[in-house]
Amino acid sequence: MRIAPPGRTLPLPILGAVLLICALASAQRPPSRRVDYDRDIAPILKAHCYVCHGAASAQGGLRVDTPELLLRGGVSGPAVVPRNRAKSLLLSRLTGHDGKPRMPLGFTPLTDARIARIGAWIDQGAVRSGKPAPVHWAFAPLRRPTIPVVRQRAWVRNPIDAFVLARLEKAGLHPSPPADRVTLLRRVTFDLTGLPPTPEAVDAFVADRSPDAYEKAVDRLLASPHYGERMAFPWLDAARYADSNGFQQDGDTYQYVWRDWVVRVLNADLPFDRFTYLQMAGDLMPEAGPQEQLATGFHRCHLLNGEGGAIPEEQRNVILFDRVDVTATTWLGLTLSCAQCHDHKYDPITQRDYYSFLAYFNQVPESGVPPGGGQYRIAEPAITMGSDEEMAKLRRLEAEVKTARADEDAYRETESAALATAQRAWEDERRRDTDVRPQWSEWYTVGPFVADTFDAAFDRVFPPEIGVDLTTAYEDGKLPWKARPEWTDGRSYALTGERSAFYLYRTVRTGRPRSVILFLGSDDGIKVWLNGKPVLSNRVTRGVAPDQEKVAVDLAAGENHVLLKIVNGGGPGGFHFRSLDQGVPDDILALIRTPETERTPESSAKLRRYFLENHPPDELKARRQRTRNAEQVRNDFVKTLPRVMILSDAQPRKTRILQRGNYEMPGEEVTPAPPAFLPAPPDGTPKDRRGLAAWLLDARNPLTARVQVNRYWQLFFGQGLAKTSENLGLRGEPPTHPELLDWLAVTFRQPGGASPYDCGWSIKRLVRLIVTSATYRQSSRTTPLLRRRDPENRLLARGARFRLPAAFLRDSALATSGLLDARLGGKPVYPYQPKGIWDGLAITNERDFTYPQSGGADLYRRSLYTFQRRTVAPANMFDASVRNTCQVRPSLTNTPLHALTTLNDTTWTEASRALAERTLHGRAVATDARLAEIFRRVCGRRPHRTELAILRRCLERSRTAFRADPKTADAFLSIGDSPRDRSLDPVEHAAYASVCLAVYNLDEALTRE
Amino acid sequence: MTPEFEDALQLTRRQFFGRTTGGIGIAALAALLTRDGLAQPPTPGKSRGTPALPGLPHRPPAAKRMVVCWQGGAPSHVDLFDDKPGLYERRGQQVPDSVRSKARLSTMTSGQRSYPVLPPIRPFRAYGQSGMRLSELLPHLGSIADDLCLIRSLRTDAVNHAPGVTFFLTGSQIPGRPSMGAWVTYGLGSLTEDLPGFCVLTSTDQGKTCGQLFYDYYWGSGFLPSKYQGVRFRSDGEPVPYLKNPDGMSRALREGMLKDINDLNRKRLTEYGDPEIETRIAQYEMAFRMQISVPELLDIKTEPAAVLEMYGPDVHRPGSYARNCLLARRLLERGVRFVQLMHSGWDQHGNLGTQLAIQCRDTDQPTAALVKDLKQRGLLDETIVLWGAEFGRTPFVQGDLNNPNGYGRDHLGSCFSLWAAGGGFRGGLTYGETDDFCYNVARDPVPVHDLQATLLHQLGIDHTRLTYRYQGRDFRLTDVFGNVVPALIA
Repeated sequence: MRIAPPGRTLPLPILGAVLLICALASAQRPPSRRVDYDRDIAPILKAHCYVCHGAASAQGGLRVDTPELLLRGGVSGPAVVPRNRAKSLLLSRLTGHDGKPRMPLGFTPLTDARIARIGAWIDQGAVRSGKPAPVHWAFAPLRRPTIPVVRQRAWVRNPIDAFVLARLEKAGLHPSPPADRVTLLRRVTFDLTGLPPTPEAVDAFVADRSPDAYEKAVDRLLASPHYGERMAFPWLDAARYADSNGFQQDGDTYQYVWRDWVVRVLNADLPFDRFTYLQMAGDLMPEAGPQEQLATGFHRCHLLNGEGGAIPEEQRNVILFDRVDVTATTWLGLTLSCAQCHDHKYDPITQRDYYSFLAYFNQVPESGVPPGGGQYRIAEPAITMGSDEEMAKLRRLEAEVKTARADEDAYRETESAALATAQRAWEDERRRDTDVRPQWSEWYTVGPFVADTFDAAFDRVFPPEIGVDLTTAYEDGKLPWKARPEWTDGRSYALTGERSAFYLYRTVRTGRPRSVILFLGSDDGIKVWLNGKPVLSNRVTRGVAPDQEKVAVDLAAGENHVLLKIVNGGGPGGFHFRSLDQGVPDDILALIRTPETERTPESSAKLRRYFLENHPPDELKARRQRTRNAEQVRNDFVKTLPRVMILSDAQPRKTRILQRGNYEMPGEEVTPAPPAFLPAPPDGTPKDRRGLAAWLLDARNPLTARVQVNRYWQLFFGQGLAKTSENLGLRGEPPTHPELLDWLAVTFRQPGGASPYDCGWSIKRLVRLIVTSATYRQSSRTTPLLRRRDPENRLLARGARFRLPAAFLRDSALATSGLLDARLGGKPVYPYQPKGIWDGLAITNERDFTYPQSGGADLYRRSLYTFQRRTVAPANMFDASVRNTCQVRPSLTNTPLHALTTLNDTTWTEASRALAERTLHGRAVATDARLAEIFRRVCGRRPHRTELAILRRCLERSRTAFRADPKTADAFLSIGDSPRDRSLDPVEHAAYASVCLAVYNLDEALTRE
Repeated sequence: MTPEFEDALQLTRRQFFGRTTGGIGIAALAALLTRDGLAQPPTPGKSRGTPALPGLPHRPPAAKRMVVCWQGGAPSHVDLFDDKPGLYERRGQQVPDSVRSKARLSTMTSGQRSYPVLPPIRPFRAYGQSGMRLSELLPHLGSIADDLCLIRSLRTDAVNHAPGVTFFLTGSQIPGRPSMGAWVTYGLGSLTEDLPGFCVLTSTDQGKTCGQLFYDYYWGSGFLPSKYQGVRFRSDGEPVPYLKNPDGMSRALREGMLKDINDLNRKRLTEYGDPEIETRIAQYEMAFRMQISVPELLDIKTEPAAVLEMYGPDVHRPGSYARNCLLARRLLERGVRFVQLMHSGWDQHGNLGTQLAIQCRDTDQPTAALVKDLKQRGLLDETIVLWGAEFGRTPFVQGDLNNPNGYGRDHLGSCFSLWAAGGGFRGGLTYGETDDFCYNVARDPVPVHDLQATLLHQLGIDHTRLTYRYQGRDFRLTDVFGNVVPALIA
């Protein structure tokens, strides 16, 4: 909103009405105003006509993307004749007055107002109005502005203040006095760590009378490990980071490893250019190791659709679109997505630009969908990446595998004579054996036998389980056995029917007892019987794949009967079968029958290999078993390690412009390039993500630095200097302090030297610069004058005051009550949530969707570590990004449901109990002292006398209520898992806890002042 | 409308609100916080609500409220709504390539080599004076046929569930846009302060046959302020999260606590002057009112036996579709602007033969009861009832044509059917036609965006003018599409 100039202020309701009128007026432009081609006409033609009559497709020979082309026209003649509406085909086709089909064909006709504007332009002479439009502020080259001269020089602590003050002086306003020390420390502690200051920190700061006491406090906070956690929050919102894929199945991911990387490098103050480069192209760096690959996890925090019928290529394009959006919003503050289907209506971004930008990300070897099954669903490319301890253990296990292998190899070397003897004995035996391998019959199938549920179908004993008679038909003759002579081993076959069972039967004949291995796959559950005895049962839901099961069975001499039961829950069903006999293959048999002297060296080696592989003598077998065991241990361990999704360029693809954004309508080919209206990358820049990263960070890029400093400003003032921090394009709001924004942007990016404030992309330096300014330190109290003159505080004549994000509120309750577990990083945790929060997800048998509430310390970790399920966000994180799309501007609303959360959620009631306990055990004994202590922990300051009186009233009321019914005290104190001190008087404890709950719900407690 | 303008408006709204709490508000608050004041259940329709955006409604609205009866998983239009007697003769014949080639299929059948026709598994019959053709599985809907506006020519871009539902309810296949209910409550405000303006109730089919989930973004507010998102009522545990006072805390004690909180907040307001503190005070008052209104809403003891009977026996089971239909009526009559019932169980790929009848049995009677109940209370005229789903199903069989226990139909987006009732929609009308195979729209197509435009139109909203600027773009429910379909309107 624009601020009314001084002296012409309006009461707010009237101001609102004026705004409304302005808004309506601007929608219907007065016709008298001169029409400007670039401003008024081109956007209309672009929006409605370019698709068919633009550079990409000049239908009817007509292009309308410049005035010259309109004059030239197409096959029907000129589209526009200056000052002659009647002869201008453009107009008659748009109105449909000439009786021909009205343009645009197949789309909504243009509004009368728009057609009138085109008419007015024709009347004016249909020319481009000589003077080019000024360059939009955000696209203009970035230069460091001069620091303005101000009158109240004493107020200025750093150049930020000079810019702010200059604007205030112009408006005839004065800055507010500095916030009192307690408020200031609470403010900066929340802003830099997301946590409240401890009473000790407050006391120390108040007592520190040195001139740089505040700067020292800021430095201490910047060095806190909680700084990285706090700064990670907005970055994770931008990266749409979550711990699951979204959509049906909503499989879990391991992207938390990437989240920990973000916290780590922010704490280490990795400069923003490096931070950017690693996330955009870490995998492509020459020295790329796991850490560099990990950084690219930023681009893999997208949704993944694993739904049954999802079309991979469609989904892959959805992911690409998302990647373009996230990059454009996060780094460039631009909305590129408009250009997915057509040239951007307002910003100078063409559809070609969009797909050229997309081309950077189009080389990733990804299918678009995550493979099925289980709790985790990870789509390649991904790397295995555990904690330091886990990776050390993995190296140790690898070493053990290597040792075991070496030992096996050494044995083969040293004992080769003994092995040769053993081989000869085996060959003799084989030559005498006539019963080479078992004979399998064809398959027979019957089904589906339907039940009410998957489980019932799995458990129920249908007739074939009792005895197989291939001549029987079940269910009144509707289900006969069918021979399947066409089925061959080693292939998958479909079985249809939901919540139902199929039986598959075949015989196998062998001359002598022998063991064989059956390899099976099934969708979903499977049971196997051999000669009526169960040999396998697996109640599972999954898609079919080869070799999901492996069973070794012992065949008896003669005929054996193999029966399979395949149970399908929902969707398609199927099975897969092959067997491995212990018989010798024909080619090996032939070699055995060839006398040793007649064998070629190759065939001897082949035979030796086969022998050692399949019939090793016991000594070798034992060693091999040790190798296998070591491998098994290693493999089992690897399966427990996180698989983090990352980027790779291993699959070169051509990128084409997709007409109307439809992946089934590819058009012209494009190559990777940034939007053409911005300064081009220097020659020799690689045309891959490295080049994109370098371009984003290039000194001539006008956007990246502006966008970042605007967002950091937003963090500390509740709103950016340009309020639409997600969009600095033509439709965004211009900054209130353009010169300050530019000064900050240059200062952020500039390597040290020219100015003492230069940050060289150091985020901590930039943050320190902002929070040590006098502007930041102002009191956030509002006066009637300021409320009237600047209700939104855009001029910064006072400090910012806004409600804390839900995550900080929760963390604050944990911290003040002493419950907080301040450990950094690791797997997501599952703190208290309403009962059955995920129950709606439990529709498949694929996995258990019971909310796995954490126990012990994990209940009290910072909210950063709360499991973020895309389909069901944590219920007590109100107003938080649900992390489906990139979000860079926080949303703050106040609904009754939010109040109910902090009043009734276990998190806050338990914290109240713990804070009361802490207080009752503390040094303060007098009632007022205890109440003041509670208030101070939560709000930072001591309560006034009048406030204490209300707190006493609250305590008294609670005491009376709990004393009247001590059971209620006990019930109130039993909330939450943390142990409770039962030595305290329950009535007294509950009464104080009730006061704590009230204090947690004060506006002041919920607000950063 | 731009966010900046929205902010300015908030200021004026807040100003308005501030004046009431500052003046008569304090007295009202005192009354509210006395025991008697709180013990009274709020009278339906008495509270004022929040105002509409300026300029809205754009036209005199035909309807004030809307309820969506969502049939998740996609019911088969071939079997229920789109009567094509010719399909019986074509049983087992291939759906011609020329018919199929126009539509995308999900990957579950796009690789299938043969596409034999499976005619409707149960006969159709004519209902009502209009003679509307519906399956014999829907006798109760048949009994209100003359109130239904049946559209058989819907068309959607999506072929899979989540994108399909998201498209229908938010106008885009990609999650993250505001849902219809959020748009409507954002534009029109709410009629009550005791309940959320946009409420969601969910149910699943009793057999839990179907893998369809309901995601928060089906009733999300997208980039609109989060107060416009739907509030989901649960059937077990707490209906709304955190509604119940903590164990051991009586209502009286909570009342007292709220008084203390607000007294302290008022002191702070005097000292700090931030109008946000006024908002906070109001917020805590409303929270308390909601704690009383919601349990009252859910308590159906006061409903006459005859009404309960109308909704069928399932109405006695909390969490059932029938119970939700009854609750929908209670919500609507208490001034809730937009109710979204989400029911699942229609994704019949391999259980059409067994489940279709069961699903119809479970939903037919309660849905019809909701319409009748609204009508007998005189609410139907100003309430839109929309019954529908994300897409339709293929006329060709999925699985073995001769195996009624295992066959079904795959998803089909190129045409499907749904109906609307009340709110100015033309009762007894059957609109739109498909080809001989129920496969493509042959006449009067209604793309989803057109339906959305028409629904908004009936609520007094011009779909092209209810916009919100986000990331520099003016978004609307209907994206860049949508035309009102006048033929559907009485």
